[in-house]
Amino acid sequence: MTPEKVASTPGSPARGPRSNGVPDSPLAAELTRTLGPKKVLSARSERLNYRYDAIQFGETPLAVVLPESTADVVTAVRAARAAGVPVVGRGAASGLSGGAAPLRESLVISFTRMTRLEVFPERREARAQSGVVTLSVTEKARPHGLIYPPDPASFRTSTIGGNLGENAGGPMCFKYGVTGDYVKGLEFVDEGGEVHELTRDAYDLAGLLIGSEGTLGLITEATLRLTPPPRYTRTLMASFPEVGEAAEAVSAAIAAGAVPSKLEFMDRACTNAVEDFLAIGLPREAGAVLLVDTDGDDLETVEEERALVEAACLRAGGTVRRAATDAESAALWQARRSVSPALGRIRPQRMNEDIVVPRSALPDVVREIRALGDASGLPLVQFGHIGDGNLHPNILFDPRRESPAAVHDLAHEIALVAIRHGGVLSGEHGIGTMKRPFMREAVDPVTLGALWSVKHALDPRELLNPGKILPDEHEDAPHAHP
Amino acid sequence: MNNEIPVQSLGPQGEVMAHAVDACVHCGFCLPACPTYAILGDEMDSPRGRIVLMKEVLEGELPLADAAPHLDRCLGCQACVSACPSGVPYGELITSFRGWSEPLRERSPFDRAKRAAILKILPAPRVFSVAARVGQYAKPLAPLLPAALRAPMDLLPEHVPAMQPNARVTPARGRKRGRVAFLAGCAQQALAPNFNAATLRVLARNGIEVVIPEGQGCCGAAALHTGARDEALRLVRQNLRAFDPDEYDAILSNAAGCGAGLKEYPVVVHGLEGEERARAFAAKVQDISEYLGKLLREGDLERPMPTSRPLTVAYHDACHLAHAQKIRLAPRELLRAIPGVTVAEVPEGDLCCGSAGTYNLEQPELANQLGVRKAGNILSTTPDLIASGNIGCHTQIQSHVRRQGSRVPVLHTVEVLDLAYRGEL
Ligand SMILES: Cc1cc2nc3c(=O)[nH]c(=O)nc-3n(C[C@H](O)[C@H](O)[C@H](O)COP(=O)(O)OP(=O)(O)OC[C@H]3O[C@@H](n4cnc5c(N)ncnc54)[C@H](O)[C@@H]3O)c2cc1C
Ligand code: SF4
Ligand code: SF4
Repeated sequence: MTPEKVASTPGSPARGPRSNGVPDSPLAAELTRTLGPKKVLSARSERLNYRYDAIQFGETPLAVVLPESTADVVTAVRAARAAGVPVVGRGAASGLSGGAAPLRESLVISFTRMTRLEVFPERREARAQSGVVTLSVTEKARPHGLIYPPDPASFRTSTIGGNLGENAGGPMCFKYGVTGDYVKGLEFVDEGGEVHELTRDAYDLAGLLIGSEGTLGLITEATLRLTPPPRYTRTLMASFPEVGEAAEAVSAAIAAGAVPSKLEFMDRACTNAVEDFLAIGLPREAGAVLLVDTDGDDLETVEEERALVEAACLRAGGTVRRAATDAESAALWQARRSVSPALGRIRPQRMNEDIVVPRSALPDVVREIRALGDASGLPLVQFGHIGDGNLHPNILFDPRRESPAAVHDLAHEIALVAIRHGGVLSGEHGIGTMKRPFMREAVDPVTLGALWSVKHALDPRELLNPGKILPDEHEDAPHAHP
Repeated sequence: MNNEIPVQSLGPQGEVMAHAVDACVHCGFCLPACPTYAILGDEMDSPRGRIVLMKEVLEGELPLADAAPHLDRCLGCQACVSACPSGVPYGELITSFRGWSEPLRERSPFDRAKRAAILKILPAPRVFSVAARVGQYAKPLAPLLPAALRAPMDLLPEHVPAMQPNARVTPARGRKRGRVAFLAGCAQQALAPNFNAATLRVLARNGIEVVIPEGQGCCGAAALHTGARDEALRLVRQNLRAFDPDEYDAILSNAAGCGAGLKEYPVVVHGLEGEERARAFAAKVQDISEYLGKLLREGDLERPMPTSRPLTVAYHDACHLAHAQKIRLAPRELLRAIPGVTVAEVPEGDLCCGSAGTYNLEQPELANQLGVRKAGNILSTTPDLIASGNIGCHTQIQSHVRRQGSRVPVLHTVEVLDLAYRGEL
């Protein structure tokens, strides 16, 4: 059916602004003319819902386009360019760095209706339009004995376009790599409305687009690499009295030669938040918990690797529990996937970091961050794909109770801990607007200049997702608040 | 999500709404669970989008009329509640919002008359039965009618059975093990009288005495979920008077929607007189499958007879059982307790069938798309029987399965059990 475009009922006594359902910007009117009313949202009630992602609310867009084909994207981009209006790409808006939230009045292009997906088992490839939900790639490939390994915790919701935009990772990334490792080629629409098909030969321009958060072009389709799933998987959970010990166990296990397929970490606040929600018997008193999968086609090796991890955990002071059944390991992994939203029960908002540090520095880093959190008095939790050195320290807050300035200061100090230990600001969630203020400390001025040159080469008018990733060229101090 | 909802001016229901809005972290985990998002693919018709719309209206930032079309498309299926790890009580939010906003809505006279008629006819079994018969005879005229009138007719079975009055007390057979009160239901009595007959037989066979308390009425869920809050409150009070929770081991319903409605009573009267009684009442309410499932687990359920040949039963999770009441296991266990039965899982099982109370009447096109999808998914399991625990799902599924050319019987879970007891499966 055609969704109704405007309210079916006349004005109501509710207070506040009123809209009359007529496209209220020339751009919306033009898009409605060229694309038809089904693909364009112009009423305020509709546009309001395209101003946020999972972490931030931005500016209400001038218009929203729901394209069904690459040609629709081209039309939309050209119209926006003619009107001088910035363009923001949007997948499922599960992003955690404000990437899909417009900072200025923009045209939002939401890919959720571009969901064509084909699997080519003989080539071990899938071709997906950008609105395809991540999990459905594996679902469609599985009957052919194949899977798509990148598995962000949001994989039931997030889209391939958004995954490419953020170069999303997931628990499997330690052994199997992140989204970018599975992209063989992609199609994108540039700022001028031209369509390009990129492979990874010659200059790896596809690699440049991956992780660019919609600031260099709009990805419309991607060719993804599929792999056969490992025959055997073994799961264990280890709990530690103190958070640094968990990190020590990780370093030791990897040094001993184990390459777990997943190696995740949750501190006490996380396990308790999840336990409040799922009640599956997580150890509430532990300072930190590790969740580990070892996998492969040879059962003996898989068990040996699990034993290596187990020994390292015990030596670091941990208690180990092996998942006896598939159901038990599924429950443990569901626990991990539920961390992020379960935290919402503690405070309505959070400042979410996504640092990556060298594995050798992990014990110091998690301890320093814990100490910063305790000293600040703000609820702070840590979790992440610790096998990769990827940590998600989250500051939970309620702006009515906690000062946003204090939150920002703590986030800044955490970012500095990462940088001091030779780490970076983003492992997988992107810089977006949330971590943009810290970029100057993380990236030297010459390199920032080079990044700006790339940006200008592809987007000379700065119309693609402006205000994201790169700090303004003329500003010098970090200042923005969450 | 932070809100600036003027809670004081909205009363106790305002608190409920503000709490729900605050609890949402807009992570989007609920999106893939939502049937309207699955079909329409836009944020306004997703749970997260609807929460934002309600927040904006309550804060006075958006006219109600602008948000209404998207909120009206919500089935109230609560699949989003099952999917939400932050525990956002979306069901309470939308119900409270509908109650709050209904008096502020400007509806056309036709719309008003239709809604009033639905709310009058549904809860009155006798009126419904007459209406259904009239509708049945008018069926050949259906193609000539406007869509709004055609939709309800499409759903009527070819044969509307005669009403069967139920005894006020059905004694236990054999050793008496319990005494329960039963909500006889309204529309269901007219459309599928055998649901109740089978329920009474199965309970009696298991030694349970069943009382159908006099003075009971419609559970009020239909009124509540369409925003007719005063009418809902009246019905809630009536039932709270009719059922004395202290007198029974349990208060049973065999319609998932009604059971969920009864369990909601404490929220309905939150902050009003009778909250205490409503809590005692709700604590006793159980779905028939929940109650029988407990007997089964305790080894107290009489064993059903084996089927005459192996049967595949496609079990359909009614939203108001699976999502609203979190009952998934018990009905499956009851079916599996019948020797010879294999329970088939339906693909996209969590997606609503589109029936959802009065949704079929108010959003016929979306309801139809969901019905087609559900019937296709069910038939893909090539079942010998289809079972579910809700009258709304029952009529919707039956009608769509027939339209797809299948004659597979569609039964209530308790009817399957009843047939097994009688050796007729
Ligand atoms: C609870 C939770 C858990 C999460 N867990 C993980 C995790 O384990 N690992 C991880 O990496 N991330 C995780 N995320 C973050 C988020 O899910 C990922 O960043 C995801 O890849 C975003 O996909 P999306 O479709 O929601 O994109 P959006 O949020 O809509 O967009 C993300 C960015 O990509 C851009 N974009 C979107 N589509 C396109 C396109 N077609 N072309 C160009 N640019 C585009 C947007 O402009 C934006 O900058 C999690 C998020 C939540 C809420
Ligand atoms: S899953 Fe829950 S918290 Fe997340 S957007 Fe939906 S309602 Fe909000
Ligand atoms: S109740 Fe059902 S239809 Fe309504 S928002 Fe939730 S999932 Fe969607």
